Amino acid sequence: MKLAIYLSAVFMTATLCVRAQNPYDVAKISPAMLVGSTAVVRSEECAITVKNVGSATMSYKTAITILTKNAESLASMSEYYDRLSSVYNLKATMYDAKGVKIKTYKSGDFIDRSLTSEGTMFDDNRIKELSFLNGVYPFTIEYSYDKDFNGFLSFPSWNPVTAYDTAVEQSSYTIQVPESSTIKFLKSKDLKTDSTLSNHVRNYKWSVQQVASIASEPMSVGMKEITPWVQASPNAFQYDNVSGNVDSWKNLGSWIFDLSKGGQNLPEQTKATVRSLTASAKTDKEKIAILYKFMQTNARYVSVQLGIGGFKPIAAEKVAAVNYGDCKALSNYMKALLETVGIQSHLVMIGADMPSLNPDYSSFGQANHMILCVPAAKDTTWLECTSQYLPAGFLGNSTSNKTVMLVTEAGGKLVNTPFYSPADNYQQRNTTVALTAEGNADILIKTSYGACQYEDHLYMMLRDPTAQRKALLNSLSIPNMEVVSAKYTQSDKDQPKLEEQIEAKGSQMLNQGGDKLFLTLNLLNRNESVPRKVEDRKTSFAVAFGFQDTDEVTYSIPKGYKVEFVPESVKIDSEFGTYTATAVLKGDKLVYTRVQRLNSKRYPPEKYKDAVDFYKKMYLADKLKAVLAKSE
Amino acid sequence: MIKSFQVTLLLIVCLAFCSSAQQAPTDKKFKFGSVDLSEFDTQVKGPDSAANAIKLFDIGSGSFDISPRTNGLTYTVTRHVRYKVVNKNAYSLADFEIQLYNSSSGGGAETLTGMRASTYNLVNGKIEVSKMAGDAKFTSRADKNHVIKKFTLPNVKEGSIIEYTYTTNSDFTFMLDDWYFQSAYPAKYAEFTFTVPEYYIYKLAKNGYLDINQTRPRDVKFVNSANATQTTYYLTDVPAIKQENFITTLDDYVSKLTFELTATNFPGSVYKDFSSTWPKLITELMDDETFGRFVKRNNFDKAFITSIVKDEKDSVAKMNLLFDYVKANIKWNEKNGYYGTQSSQKAVLEKKSGSTGDINLSLLGMLRAAGITCSPVLLSTRGNGFHPGYPMLSKFNSVVVQVTAGGRNFLLDATDEDNMPDMISRRNLNHEGLKINTEEKTAAWISLDNDIAGNNSVTYNLVLGEDKTFKGNIYLSAMNYDAIDRRALYKSTATEAEFLKNYKAKRPGLEISSYKIDNLKQSHETLFETMDVTIEDAVEDAGNLMYFTPLFFDRTKDNPFPLEERKFPVDFAHPFEENIRSVIEFPEKYTLDKLPKNEAFALPNKDGLFQVTYAVDGNKIAIKSRISIAKSVFSPEEYFLLKEFFKNIVRKQAEQIVFKKS
Repeated sequence: MKLAIYLSAVFMTATLCVRAQNPYDVAKISPAMLVGSTAVVRSEECAITVKNVGSATMSYKTAITILTKNAESLASMSEYYDRLSSVYNLKATMYDAKGVKIKTYKSGDFIDRSLTSEGTMFDDNRIKELSFLNGVYPFTIEYSYDKDFNGFLSFPSWNPVTAYDTAVEQSSYTIQVPESSTIKFLKSKDLKTDSTLSNHVRNYKWSVQQVASIASEPMSVGMKEITPWVQASPNAFQYDNVSGNVDSWKNLGSWIFDLSKGGQNLPEQTKATVRSLTASAKTDKEKIAILYKFMQTNARYVSVQLGIGGFKPIAAEKVAAVNYGDCKALSNYMKALLETVGIQSHLVMIGADMPSLNPDYSSFGQANHMILCVPAAKDTTWLECTSQYLPAGFLGNSTSNKTVMLVTEAGGKLVNTPFYSPADNYQQRNTTVALTAEGNADILIKTSYGACQYEDHLYMMLRDPTAQRKALLNSLSIPNMEVVSAKYTQSDKDQPKLEEQIEAKGSQMLNQGGDKLFLTLNLLNRNESVPRKVEDRKTSFAVAFGFQDTDEVTYSIPKGYKVEFVPESVKIDSEFGTYTATAVLKGDKLVYTRVQRLNSKRYPPEKYKDAVDFYKKMYLADKLKAVLAKSE
Repeated sequence: MIKSFQVTLLLIVCLAFCSSAQQAPTDKKFKFGSVDLSEFDTQVKGPDSAANAIKLFDIGSGSFDISPRTNGLTYTVTRHVRYKVVNKNAYSLADFEIQLYNSSSGGGAETLTGMRASTYNLVNGKIEVSKMAGDAKFTSRADKNHVIKKFTLPNVKEGSIIEYTYTTNSDFTFMLDDWYFQSAYPAKYAEFTFTVPEYYIYKLAKNGYLDINQTRPRDVKFVNSANATQTTYYLTDVPAIKQENFITTLDDYVSKLTFELTATNFPGSVYKDFSSTWPKLITELMDDETFGRFVKRNNFDKAFITSIVKDEKDSVAKMNLLFDYVKANIKWNEKNGYYGTQSSQKAVLEKKSGSTGDINLSLLGMLRAAGITCSPVLLSTRGNGFHPGYPMLSKFNSVVVQVTAGGRNFLLDATDEDNMPDMISRRNLNHEGLKINTEEKTAAWISLDNDIAGNNSVTYNLVLGEDKTFKGNIYLSAMNYDAIDRRALYKSTATEAEFLKNYKAKRPGLEISSYKIDNLKQSHETLFETMDVTIEDAVEDAGNLMYFTPLFFDRTKDNPFPLEERKFPVDFAHPFEENIRSVIEFPEKYTLDKLPKNEAFALPNKDGLFQVTYAVDGNKIAIKSRISIAKSVFSPEEYFLLKEFFKNIVRKQAEQIVFKKS
């Protein structure tokens, strides 16, 4: 009896202690973690245990405190899986601000759905997910699950800081590997690696504590250079019954090469067509252009991904029969077409809209796309085979200027795709504006676009006329505009160059101010804003691509008006680019000329202040107005 | 307004019915696989002449069968569609998918059979056929209730003709899918034949601005020698339909047929009427587990309600307390619906989240528990389109609460924490709702239109220095929907600093100090913001002149209606008002040049008003701009005037104040 009382007292005390100790009490978050934060990761553990070359398990657990409504997107759990992996043991709980449990989720609360994206015919990507909903902030969510990998090419990467304005109290990442297997990893620069060996198992561990939140910054290249992260992968793998070795780009390339080997046969009929199409072509360059055009006219992009099919192209013979395929299938088909006329080419593994491949770290996760490279001593041709429109040899903004891997018989080989300079990415515009005394105007705009700016405007050419007019009405800054006509032409189909001609009418071209009339000289290409100032900037910055815009606007001044004032010329020179704007009165014509050139470089954070200053000067110069008045 | 538009539609439909009942649809035959050479030359005249694809025909038929599996009736739809692919922009037509519902709880299923598809290319004057093979068909389990079947056609090129046909079979005869005659591509011919056995009585409604023709009903035989009626609906030369701004949903304007089962009349059982009258529907609805019974299941403790309303006696005050409680404690899960999805109202409160039905019906329950008179109001959200008006429940997808207190009515919607009495969420602001009298089991349409305009005002009080910098303060106030938007924007930003950062980002030259926001939490009150500011770079030099735009960052720079014409009404959802005032003191040594004119513009019936006035007093100048839009919906006929109205706003608000340097 006594013992029972004693025991229950102990028990009660223990319970009370646990209550008092609510680990997720918001009051326990240190003030430094709250500065600028909308959410705080209280704890996160990701533990990977490799059983053998083809099998591994991940155990994941995290707790996140959502401080304000605008972090509600973090109040959710989702994990990807597919035919070769499974997610189970899902648990989730929600706590209030004091860390008292509000709700425990049941297995039926988790949603299991397909993750197939629009435009993909088939893949087996699936997701298990849960949204935590609570109207009162702050609150804390906690969830955990296990995941089995039946074949894996790399390990899930570890990025404890997943979002802006989110602090991390603690997070850890461990990988356990049998001594017989080896792994490799890349990590952020100041992160310490803890590696121990016991019972023939190697244990790697990385962890961080008390990481303050980071605010998003304009023009940022991202937070990866200032946050902790690890990416890791096994050197040898077994995936969907195929084994391979990725300890070097060379070996990774060999593996891909072997998957595509023998897939370049074509039906005799296709071969005959190819030969007759190229019969009169003199150079390889011409043949490439003809066959690329043939592929663009006949085949279209359809995505089908499944297991090893995510890496192995569908055979060229099959593509020839149905005339569709994904990036791998179309690149491989193009390779087969070229082979028919004796031109050798290589499949290329590339990260479209991703950073360059890291020469010191070979892994699958760095690429998401395949293109084709036709090597030549002087003039290598790059072919984007999923595009229906790009001219042969032109790569767009997402694939140019990158380190990529050629898939050759001798293995993978790293090379660079072409770089387009600001002068390549040009916009050259000549505008004439015939003003009337009422402020109406007939406007003729002739523009040509090159390279990346060609790519940006290509969609305009492809639209139907109604959609073109609609887009112009919404995008051109001519007051009360009417579009009379719009024409887009690509006179040389082999060049990334687009001509645009727009005839428009505008009214209210002149802003009134008493009896003066103000004419904003830069009619069509103004910088309408300045990047905001950032105190103590942390991340580097860059523009998407360098470009050069040249504008010449000729205004004819109506009879009965005189130009009272013409602004002085502006010239700005900086490492970010150059800018000149000049207005000259020639008889009854006022001619405005502006050249803006932006360099594509990556700049360190401390230069940002100067960049803002540069943009502000351009913003002010773009507003400049001439003053007109009625001549007596 | 919207109502009168619908009435016109119904009238047109009626006329069309009367005039076209005699005509037969086209005598053309539509056989799968039989493509005529001339079809490759098909062209469309008029606005769609540059279409990326032309629908040559789209033939559907809906009929009923007796399922060998369930012995019940099933609904079978067979569709046969053929397109001419004009250019690559229409390649997406070659990849298509069909979503099928499979109730995970065994409540029935949809199946797909007989999928056939082919591509036809004209090669050297001959038609080459490519049939879709088995490996171009894919099945994907989207979630526990949905399967998606996907298909892709071979050898599609510019100029190809593609066609496909399939049959779907559904156990869900209460809810037949709408049949669309109109799509993003122009169609030469579209037809739907509906054959219904005498056991079922459906109400068909025609939607859209085109007159859908129909044949006189024909008698045909159904199984077991029962009778069936067959009617064909058709349209020729159907124009393409495309999205526009300021509309509820494109679905309100597209040409389609909708079906609602109104009664069943099986041999040997009684005639069962489903939705012939509102009282009948309401009686059933009140008996429904998820609506009437859910509403009744408000087993709240007295103490719980008392803990919220305390000793408050005034019914309006009590209403506000309960409304605020629900808004603060239950989070909307972004799902619509007029019914409860959880076991009881108490469960909703415990879970702290729920659908529109869960939240607003729980609010109703709590209000009633506190002795406040209130009723549910069913509605269709803006995204879901307008309700056709006749007795039909399936078109409703949301519910709000009407309260009678303190001698007047209030509309409450607790799905958003910033909503106020009479300010229901904008998505619910679809003009009309059906108020249910849960005791008498009757219903009546009430207007959801809100006469209270959104109100947004900006006041600049500035002193212009000789350094051409403005110093002073900006004073903002927002009421009603503008306040809801502003509060949501403030709360969705991480910190106040971030909020101001964003505010400044769109206002080059503005620097802010000592920002203050008032009544952020008091959603019943006007939201005030004040800030001390400096504005640089706003004054420009031109020789011996200096000028600036006195409405600074708040002028309307672009006409929201750039397009020349419009087929659909402009639906702003609610009236609104915008006031900008600037009071500016300038250096004595500056001389004001001639001021712009005071001007006012009005829309007919005072539906819109815009005025700008300038006034000078010594070295102070005051500018006032006021825009007021007094109604929420403008018809396509009123579009031109509305466009002109905004054109004047853009012009007048861009005017400059000019100084002469001495």
